[in-house]
Amino acid sequence: MSFIGDLFGKSPFGPLVEHTKKVHECVEMIRPLAEALVKEDYEEIHRLQDSVCKVEYQADQIKHEIRELLPRRYFMPVASSVLEDFLHYQDKIADSVQDFAVILLIRQTKLHPALREEYFGFVDQILKVSRMLLSGAEELQELAETSFGGAEATSVLERIRGVGEEEWKADRLQRVLSKKIYSLEKEIDPVTIMFYDKMLRTLSSVANEAENTAELLRRMILHS
Amino acid sequence: MLALLIVIAVLGLYMAWNIGANDVANSMACAVGSKSMSVKWALITAGFCEFAGSVLVGSHVTDTIRKGIVSPDAVAAAPGVAPADAAVLMILGMSAALLASALWLNFATWMGMPVSTTHSIVGAVAGFGVTVAGWGAVNWWKLVQIVASWFISPVIGGILGFCFFMAISRLILGRVRPCRDAVKYAPYTVVFVVFVVALSIVYKGLVHISAKLSWLTGGNAFILAGALAVGAGVLSRILIGRTLRGREDLPLPQQLQLVERIFIPVVVFCSCTVAFSHGANDVANAIGPLAAVVDIARTGAVKMDVAVPLWVLILGGFGIVLGLATYGYRVIDTVGTKITMLTPSRAVAAGIATTTTVLGCTKLGLPVSTTHTLVGAVLGIGLARGMGAVNREVTKSIFSSWLITVPAAAILCVLLFLLSRIFLFDLIRQALP
Repeated sequence: MSFIGDLFGKSPFGPLVEHTKKVHECVEMIRPLAEALVKEDYEEIHRLQDSVCKVEYQADQIKHEIRELLPRRYFMPVASSVLEDFLHYQDKIADSVQDFAVILLIRQTKLHPALREEYFGFVDQILKVSRMLLSGAEELQELAETSFGGAEATSVLERIRGVGEEEWKADRLQRVLSKKIYSLEKEIDPVTIMFYDKMLRTLSSVANEAENTAELLRRMILHS
Repeated sequence: MLALLIVIAVLGLYMAWNIGANDVANSMACAVGSKSMSVKWALITAGFCEFAGSVLVGSHVTDTIRKGIVSPDAVAAAPGVAPADAAVLMILGMSAALLASALWLNFATWMGMPVSTTHSIVGAVAGFGVTVAGWGAVNWWKLVQIVASWFISPVIGGILGFCFFMAISRLILGRVRPCRDAVKYAPYTVVFVVFVVALSIVYKGLVHISAKLSWLTGGNAFILAGALAVGAGVLSRILIGRTLRGREDLPLPQQLQLVERIFIPVVVFCSCTVAFSHGANDVANAIGPLAAVVDIARTGAVKMDVAVPLWVLILGGFGIVLGLATYGYRVIDTVGTKITMLTPSRAVAAGIATTTTVLGCTKLGLPVSTTHTLVGAVLGIGLARGMGAVNREVTKSIFSSWLITVPAAAILCVLLFLLSRIFLFDLIRQALP
């Protein structure tokens, strides 16, 4: 009988990295969406929204797979509750991207030309936050390999701090953009302002959830 | 007389077959599970190492099973046993113990229970002792030591697994340049394993192989083992250095992968030593009773001190290899496909911990379960945050299985012994010289 074989469960870290990559694939579609908005190419927005949905669905599939790997009868280097939370917040990142795509889809809105520069500054900063998180989270398997310690953990912790910093910059850029929007309130109709506000909120929640996810990554390393 | 010997040898072979069919896969689990070795090669090397372990070091535990638990003297001196009958009772009892534990193993395997050959044979021999000569016939102090070692060996395996893995993790994997530190520290794992294995072979001598080797004991053994270990260490340092030189500036994840790869040959070696120590410790489960019977059958008298004949050790080793070749390969195959997250660095730590613990117990004459020790080592690595996911339920069932095995094998042995005393007593008595 090979009961030794039954002793080992499947490690959740490989699938977690898969999930991370899928989620950030969604985030990378924010930039094309924003460009399509500027070009007022609503067909392109429709197409992109479809692919965000598709990738988000794939990420969900991986999420369910991981949840099945996490019953309490396994003894793991990280508490399964922390892994659950990590998955939860990372999932919310993809959800926010999807919300953003839907907002662009439901109303054919134009972006005021004077907002363009600040708008892309803000969008790119959101992408920076996400890329910083990805660079840390996609090394979960290496972290497990080094038992969440040593030089590898130090370098991931460094990047987690980076996520916090970039998120702070994103907040600042959001304030600048908001100010600019309200300074133009005479020129823009109120419904469009409402729309801008909604768009900004979903974008900033991408950065916020990325920061939450990074925080859980930190808890994995500093023993949950 | 010859017919009697053949029957008993067949029983011993059956038991050895069981050991080969069930346990050997566990000793190769690290190598096959970490994909360091193909199933075919694992099978061939396991066969060699098990055989070498049983023939070279197998006699220590054999003596424990043969006379340590139930003393032949106590059987001869038991009230109501004529001196001439004692020989017959020993033969019947030891044969019953062999058959009982082999049958129990077969049954448990069929039921899918993770049982240990060691626990079965110790239970069976103790059961026979109590039946034939009352509670006094069993050397309880020895039995307490054995049972204590069943608790202690997984714990020691766990502590060693934790320490070895921590060392690998701190000194190599956790460094800024793992490739550079691997060249510096990985050879020490080789030095340690070679030293432990070499010492276990030569420390108490190889006199039973050849009388010419009688100088090879004590201090000389230490020197020889040390020299071999240093030699192997230097060789491995050269080989590891050649693979990793110039790779120190690669990105960290790539360096980690390279370091894991240099552990692969070390895993293969460690798994061989686990198979070796398994052969050394567990062959006794099959040939301990056999060794007890062989001398009695030849001389017709019960004696305390008989050397374990070399051909008996060889027979045991052969039986294990036979079990491996006819059935064990299937088990190794499943092990290989099921363990996916055992990286070579973990496999090395688990292998060293298991080998050290089992060989240490072997030298003390304590029959321990290699599987339990290995599971202990894996859990130790898990405590050091080194394992992806370890199944708690399976761990529990592995450790609790011996609680059923000992009484079950004992009761089965008592039944077989009582039956054989009724039907076979006279037959064997006539066969003895």
